[in-house]
Amino acid sequence: MSSIQSVFSIGLFQNTLRTATPVVLAGLGVLMTDHVGIMNIGMDGMMLCGAFFAVLGSCFLGSWVGGLALALAIGLLLGAFFGLFVIEFKSDEYIIGVALNIFAGGLTVFLLRTIFGVAGAFSGTSALPIHPLPIINIPLIRDIPVLGSLLSGNTLLVYVSWLMVLLSYVLIYRTPLGFWMRAAGENPEALRAAGKSPDRMKYLASVLCGLFSGLAGAHLSLGYLTMFTENMSASRGFIAVACVIFGRSDPRKVFMAALLFGFIDAFGLRVQTYNISSNLTSLAPYMATVIMMVLGAWLKQRKQWRLAKLER
Amino acid sequence: MKKMISLVLSVAMVLMSVMVLTNCGPKESDEKLKVAVVLAGATGDRSFYDSANEGLQQLIKRGDVQGSLIECQNDASMFTTNLISAAENNDVVVAVGWEFWEALAEYAPQLPDTKFIFVDNGLDGVGDNLLSITYAQNEGSFLVGYIAGKLSTTGKVGAIGGEDSETINDFIVGYEAGAKYANPNAVVQTRYAGTYEDPARGKELALALYDSGCDIVFQVASRTGEGVFEAAAERGLFAIGVDSDQKYINPDVIICSMVKEVGQSIVYPIAGLLDNGTWNGGHIWVADMSTGMVDVGYGDPYMTQQVDNALKAEVEQIKADIISGKIEVPTAFR
Repeated sequence: MSSIQSVFSIGLFQNTLRTATPVVLAGLGVLMTDHVGIMNIGMDGMMLCGAFFAVLGSCFLGSWVGGLALALAIGLLLGAFFGLFVIEFKSDEYIIGVALNIFAGGLTVFLLRTIFGVAGAFSGTSALPIHPLPIINIPLIRDIPVLGSLLSGNTLLVYVSWLMVLLSYVLIYRTPLGFWMRAAGENPEALRAAGKSPDRMKYLASVLCGLFSGLAGAHLSLGYLTMFTENMSASRGFIAVACVIFGRSDPRKVFMAALLFGFIDAFGLRVQTYNISSNLTSLAPYMATVIMMVLGAWLKQRKQWRLAKLER
Repeated sequence: MKKMISLVLSVAMVLMSVMVLTNCGPKESDEKLKVAVVLAGATGDRSFYDSANEGLQQLIKRGDVQGSLIECQNDASMFTTNLISAAENNDVVVAVGWEFWEALAEYAPQLPDTKFIFVDNGLDGVGDNLLSITYAQNEGSFLVGYIAGKLSTTGKVGAIGGEDSETINDFIVGYEAGAKYANPNAVVQTRYAGTYEDPARGKELALALYDSGCDIVFQVASRTGEGVFEAAAERGLFAIGVDSDQKYINPDVIICSMVKEVGQSIVYPIAGLLDNGTWNGGHIWVADMSTGMVDVGYGDPYMTQQVDNALKAEVEQIKADIISGKIEVPTAFR
């Protein structure tokens, strides 16, 4: 068996997709807040809450629909909460983001121990099973060789994430509402002069961010895995922030950035076959993140330079 | 004013989450032996730390021990602080996790009135108040490796470690030797997750191993390992648990577990102190196969048993051979 083949197998690309999806969903949430000028770095914690409440809903409401609904509800609540502090109380959005991350870590651990009576991990019991998200098999596409196993047979939220990338793009760049949202971030005075409230746009973005955090969390605990474990978001929310900065808040570019991150991560797992130190390979996604951030900053700088030259 | 409110509320929020995690037990009579178990991580790994906690609970049930549990939640800045405050209020402090190495080396000699038990790492020549316990996890892993080698139909088995460190590698070296002892042609593939907290990563690593032909995967990765069990269930293949008897998590895919009796090994010296007043401080106690502190677990008898009685008998024979020195299991240390 050629070992190159064992690294570049279909599994690599399936892994890429699975790893990227929670980051894509979280990234869409973060980019909404970035457009209105209040970037939410509390995404990691919000996702963690979403993951917990998805499991809670799935167990006690008896279906994945209940889980998804509860995750969305808690996301909505946290999003509104973030908006309230940042917009109404004019707190620094980074401080609130950090507070959300710490709060989510404590809250989920506490609730896990009190509600489910276990510490660390809950993967369902026979009396209280977790109902996972359905897996969608697409009839014709399923039969295409190679591509079929990538495009079909994923969990529901993978397809939802693709749809959401498209819808977010249309919302932000192709509708008046999106235009106002961007104006709220870039030039609130102009928006106010046009008779629109920047604060309303910021609230809208915060709430959308919350809803996306719910989706990302539900995907993690009901789609990717069927369990909740403490700190299971494992910094995916921060990777999403990096993808948003790299993709300059354009949903299409953020999607590509998340896929790139997923690919590097999946690749890193597989090159361990060649006795490359795992300490080095597990560094790969973070190294990629730093490179992406620097590259993103450089591209932005270059664009500003060019504009400055044109003005002169 | 609004800023003030938001500041107060966010501080309150942070404090709340800290309070939730801190364990404040009530003070009782001082007749009892006060024992504090300080964990580098937290309970809920369904293996190592939970086993330590079981040991503590067993001691509390005796009636002459007042026990408390302190969790550092893998926060390195808390190791020294929690250790010292535990030492000031207790007679015996059990530090669970190799992470306490530096803190103990520095502070155990400065706190001679407190007895320390250091679990999972050896610290020698620090003082008579410190007893170190290390486990021959390589010997226990040899047994599960043997089972994996015998049961694998593909001749390929995998192992997933939390990180590339000596203690984790001690498991894996033993496992590999066991698999090769059962089947000299067995191939053992090892992967490291680089984290103990990310079950999604554990699942991905396991799926990659199963797809490359492994049919049994041994997880040594705490909560990351939960994802390994899920991957096994998804592929209809098998996994091996670690530290505690983890079979109950999913009896259909977990064929056995390498058991490290962390709890029992804590109970043993403290019970000795209470019953006979003996204290064997100042040296390293290697809890090997002969002490019964490392073993293999098959869950409860009513659970699906993938390991048949004939194979279990072979494992018993290997245990005897390891104790008698007939089989020498390699180690990652030294």
